[in-house]
Amino acid sequence: MTKHASITLLTKRYNEFVLITERVEEALRESGIQEGLVAVISQHTTTGIAVNESLECLESDLGLFLERLVPEDLPYSHARILPSYGSTAGNPTGHLKSHITGNSALFPVVGGKMLRGSAQDIYLCEFDGPAQRTINLVITGD
Amino acid sequence: MFIDVHVHPAFYEPIRADAARQDARHELLGLYHNGTAPLEHVFNQMSCAGLDRLCLLAQDYSADSAAVVSNEEVARLVGLAPNRFIGIASIDPFAPGCLEKLERAFTEHRLRGLKLHPGRQGFYPPDPRLDPVYALCERHDRPVIFHSGLSLEPDSLAKYSRPAEFEELAYRHPKLRICLAHFGWPWVQEAAMLMLKYRNVYADTALLYFDSAKEFYARVFTRDLEITWIDRSLRHQVMFGSDNPRFEQIRMARALGELGLRESSLELIKGVNAAEFLGGID
Repeated sequence: MTKHASITLLTKRYNEFVLITERVEEALRESGIQEGLVAVISQHTTTGIAVNESLECLESDLGLFLERLVPEDLPYSHARILPSYGSTAGNPTGHLKSHITGNSALFPVVGGKMLRGSAQDIYLCEFDGPAQRTINLVITGD
Repeated sequence: MFIDVHVHPAFYEPIRADAARQDARHELLGLYHNGTAPLEHVFNQMSCAGLDRLCLLAQDYSADSAAVVSNEEVARLVGLAPNRFIGIASIDPFAPGCLEKLERAFTEHRLRGLKLHPGRQGFYPPDPRLDPVYALCERHDRPVIFHSGLSLEPDSLAKYSRPAEFEELAYRHPKLRICLAHFGWPWVQEAAMLMLKYRNVYADTALLYFDSAKEFYARVFTRDLEITWIDRSLRHQVMFGSDNPRFEQIRMARALGELGLRESSLELIKGVNAAEFLGGID
């Protein structure tokens, strides 16, 4: 059996780590699936899905780490008008951070619960906010 | 007070229309991938940019198509957030009943100015056919924001909105406050020329046609123009505008602050000039 669900949220800042663990667990409970896998997949190209420890200090370190790798003020090719959009693409850093972070996470489901380590939480990583974001969930199993 | 004088609300959730009209909005504006923005998102964006107020521009091309955003829709949005939104009317000057529509926009809907798009609506600014429109604006002490320079909207021609085309209007109507939106790009020196001579001519910074906001603002305001021209001579006539959602409101707000203007000039450009242009802020 496979169930699909989605999480929609509004991010508030340009770069932001938003915890979504509880919302994934809620969707898992509603699915009724006891044994299998849950996939958490962002629908966007300037966000990431990351699994890490939910600590303020680590969020700060991760944010600064990505900023060092992808500085705002480099001369990016993506900084231009996109004719197919009719608007400027001012978000090359968002795409690059998304590329580094990846857009999905996968967890086993055992006994109706996500099997995750005690330090593991799931983040939507916003790299071009604020924005309305959708995360798709695929829960498959029995 | 930080005001963005140039925002298009066509995709704001409270005025979302049926699919056909939403499609028409995309096509008429030449904006093809804009989702619907809940007001909470708009407020989040304002917060990130440090903005206190947005001027929401109606867009009426009703002589040949439906209004993209009507005066009534702008008034409705202002009513939902009167402390954040300032409404600017639009008419198609060649549509029947346009003067009555504008009168109603100023009196009933309490919109604070008029937006016209010479390149899209097909007129040169001093066209005598527009005289009744300008007279009505003067009678109500309402300013006019003109699209000027290049327009990325389909079916619009830049020849109508080159800054030099506005001189006769500024000359003939010295009490009519007019804004050359987009600073008349690429003719920014022509815009500066007019602003130097005519104190009723303003310009907004809604331009991001190449590169990043920081790169393009630096190009236009420190090389095509000297930053000292703005900082010393034109500082009472420049207003921050973003043309959001076409351009990058947050990054443009940030880029403005990085140009090296005096703090007192920044205050003028961020809000004081807009308040004066609009005839005061409630």
